[in-house]
Amino acid sequence: MPIAHNPLSVEVSLPRQDVALLTVEGYLDVDTATEFQHHLANQLHHGRRHFLLDLSEVPFMDSSGMNIILRVYQEARALPGSVHIISPTPAVQRILDLTGVSITVPVSQSVEEALALVDRQPEQPENEDG
Amino acid sequence: MSISEHPSEPAGVEPRLDTAGGVDVPPVSPVGRLAATVERLSREVRAAQAEAEGRALIELAKGILVERLKCGPAQAARQLAELTEQARMTPLQFAVEVINQAARDRMSEVTDAFLAATAAAGEPVADPAAVRLRAAESEALAADDTQSVADALLEQALRPLGAVAVAIWAAGSDGSLTLAGSAGFSPAEAARWRYVPPDVATVARRGLSERTGQWITSLSETGLPSIGRHHHPDGGRAALPAGTGGRIHGVLEIAWPAPLPPQPPQLVRQMEALAELCAHTLETSTLRHGPAQEPPRVLPDAAELMDLADGLHDPALVLVPHLDGSGHLVDFRIQHVNSRFLDPAGRPRAVVNGALLLEAYPMAAGAGELFRGIERVYATGEPFRARRMNLTALVDQVPLSAIADISISRHGSAVLLIWRIEDETARLASLLQHAQRLGRIGGFEENLLTGEITWNGQLFDLYGRPPSSTPVPLEQLPAHAHPDDAVAIGRFLRTLLHHRRPASAAFRLLRPDGVTRHIRVVAEPVLDTDGRLLLVRGAYQDISAQHWTEVALAATRDQLAHTEQQAHERNRLTLQLQHAIMPPTQAPLQVTGLEVAVRYRPAETEQLVGGDWYDAVVLPSRLVLLCVGDVAGHGIEAATSMVVLRNALRGLAVTGAGPGQLLSWLNIVAHHLTGAVTATAVCGLYDPARRTLRWARAGHLPPVLVRGPEAAPLPLVRGMLLGAVPEAEYEEAEVQLAVEDTLLMYTDGLIERRDRSVEESLTQLLTTARHAPSTLDQQLDRLLTYSRSDTDDDTCIVGIRVD
Repeated sequence: MPIAHNPLSVEVSLPRQDVALLTVEGYLDVDTATEFQHHLANQLHHGRRHFLLDLSEVPFMDSSGMNIILRVYQEARALPGSVHIISPTPAVQRILDLTGVSITVPVSQSVEEALALVDRQPEQPENEDG
Repeated sequence: MSISEHPSEPAGVEPRLDTAGGVDVPPVSPVGRLAATVERLSREVRAAQAEAEGRALIELAKGILVERLKCGPAQAARQLAELTEQARMTPLQFAVEVINQAARDRMSEVTDAFLAATAAAGEPVADPAAVRLRAAESEALAADDTQSVADALLEQALRPLGAVAVAIWAAGSDGSLTLAGSAGFSPAEAARWRYVPPDVATVARRGLSERTGQWITSLSETGLPSIGRHHHPDGGRAALPAGTGGRIHGVLEIAWPAPLPPQPPQLVRQMEALAELCAHTLETSTLRHGPAQEPPRVLPDAAELMDLADGLHDPALVLVPHLDGSGHLVDFRIQHVNSRFLDPAGRPRAVVNGALLLEAYPMAAGAGELFRGIERVYATGEPFRARRMNLTALVDQVPLSAIADISISRHGSAVLLIWRIEDETARLASLLQHAQRLGRIGGFEENLLTGEITWNGQLFDLYGRPPSSTPVPLEQLPAHAHPDDAVAIGRFLRTLLHHRRPASAAFRLLRPDGVTRHIRVVAEPVLDTDGRLLLVRGAYQDISAQHWTEVALAATRDQLAHTEQQAHERNRLTLQLQHAIMPPTQAPLQVTGLEVAVRYRPAETEQLVGGDWYDAVVLPSRLVLLCVGDVAGHGIEAATSMVVLRNALRGLAVTGAGPGQLLSWLNIVAHHLTGAVTATAVCGLYDPARRTLRWARAGHLPPVLVRGPEAAPLPLVRGMLLGAVPEAEYEEAEVQLAVEDTLLMYTDGLIERRDRSVEESLTQLLTTARHAPSTLDQQLDRLLTYSRSDTDDDTCIVGIRVD
């Protein structure tokens, strides 16, 4: 199995003190999922509660990538906090729909939209859909 | 060949003692002298060569030389001896050689090379002066020192020529002149002139520097000082260089009481011959006495000391003071080195012998202060001893140093310098000490009879004990070691002390400071002549660093092997598990009006065996439960979760609940599995009576319906994957099937590709599924065969076909 032939790029910015915006570029699959997870864990460690995942530059995501999103979703929900997916490509959107993750993790079309969702539901740990 | 001259007439001169043998020489006429000389030489040979035949041959050879060289027998004898020595032959051998040469008549070549310069001396002599010269020559030859030669020359040859005094000067290598012998001067005058330093212009000096005879009509005219000037200020002088073989050994100075008229060439040549005669004497005299006749009489002292030095077992040098022109001590001459002498720089003995101390060891004047020590000893007579002094010698300008013990003492006017260069054994021992320190090796020796124990400093360090403490006997070693090492130490002691064989052991030394060191001890027994154990000696080495490296390595190796084996085991187990639960193919279900087929293809790579599952079972309600699921991840954890979920679903299905409800419950099961398991599944209940399939999905791909030439996925009803959230609801859908319809449930191993979306992959699958072969089994096989999946994932397919 080829290893890391598609390097993953993750840029982290902080639109707000407790909000981490991770802009992901590259394939989110079994080869890159661990690296993605490290970025998320690092932000969790630094006390961020809301995670905005910009997946507009992710052409492909497999179950490994999805599991990472689900894991940070579970962590954030316990804080309580939230995870938002921003501008997924059709393929990723398809996977999110297929697995039902889009039922649980709200999908926004922009950072502003996601931030608005963060503001609207600040202390609600449970949400069945976005 | 025969001797060409014969003795005829004895001379009226008293006999003298010869150096070689002691023979009476009657120096009368050349013929008589020749006869006498032949006689003397023959006796000399007799002493050396007892054979008559050999003697005759040597005599013959001399005769040949006399004739061919036109020289006197003395000259011939000397030449013969010299040539014999040069040729490294016995005199007899060489004599034969000479005779052979003569017989072939090539003698002239040899003679020319030998003594062309002295040819003048070989002229036929007729006048009385010449006879006297010959007599003087003969007598001089017989004399044993230069003084005698001077006497003989004056009496026999020069007085008749009007000369009143003669002085023989020996030239030193430094250009000085030493009065080697004189006659006709008062003893006081001779003593005053015993030594002429270099560069002092005298008559003799001029003879030396000009290298030709100096004939001075009147001494006062030249203004040159010389011996006896006050007695004969206006007298004539001659200074003739005394040389042999291109080397000037000194000067023959002859004094006349009155101004000297120019001498006839014959006389000049004869006197030059006398000078040459002196040269021979000077040469042999110098050889015998070294730089003899030097100022303060050091020789007797030095001679004794040389004998003493030769008896010493250490390198010894006999030094004599070396004074400058003004009598100040400037250096010491190395008068003698004994046979044990070893130059610190490794130079041959001959290079050092005779050299000035500061020339041989310029560095002696430096930091080591060896020279100052010698000076002080020479001045005060107080002996000087020093241990481990650093001697430095310059060899080709490279300073080489050596450590030596030094002893300096004065004996008479000479100084004895003894040194003992730290020898190789001592150096090795010192080296070993360093090595022990670096290697953290502690040495010990234990005398088992006296109980005496010797430890080196390093061993005290190893034990963490002060050097002043008592060493630990070997027998008590267990008390200082880790209890677990008792067996090893016991074996070590038993081998060493009981079996008396060399032994070694590794153990943990518990030091008083609480530090544990890993020590290796090696020891060997030393037995006395009766075979009793006398000594035990050996060494401890601290192998802690090495030990821990080894331990770490071994552990890592074990761990690696273990991990590898474990992984292999686990993979095999996973596969077995999967096979046990889900055979790659399943016995067909007996359901009226429905064909059911399943396929399971494990991942090709063993460690990727994952958590895919399928199930097809007829429930008590006569409904058929159809299911395909996929636990995220690979390996034994995924497989275990798969087993749990599959069995749970079977059990839950018995309740008669619908697929949505079943997945809701299954989500709870998955959510509560340890290890944050997520899984996807699609679950359907087929009612054979109504040919309907009621289904729900949890994040899984929807089933594909193949109807005629069409293949299409069922709608994507809402349903979250299993285990991600504590509670989830699953939308249900129902599809009415018709005869010949085929419905496929599958895991994403069938379609997953990195380079395209699920959509595209699905289209590919549908195209494959559309070309439905005659049987369901064939269709599933075809799907597996033509699957465009590029991930090596395991794959499940469940297919039903309505009959």
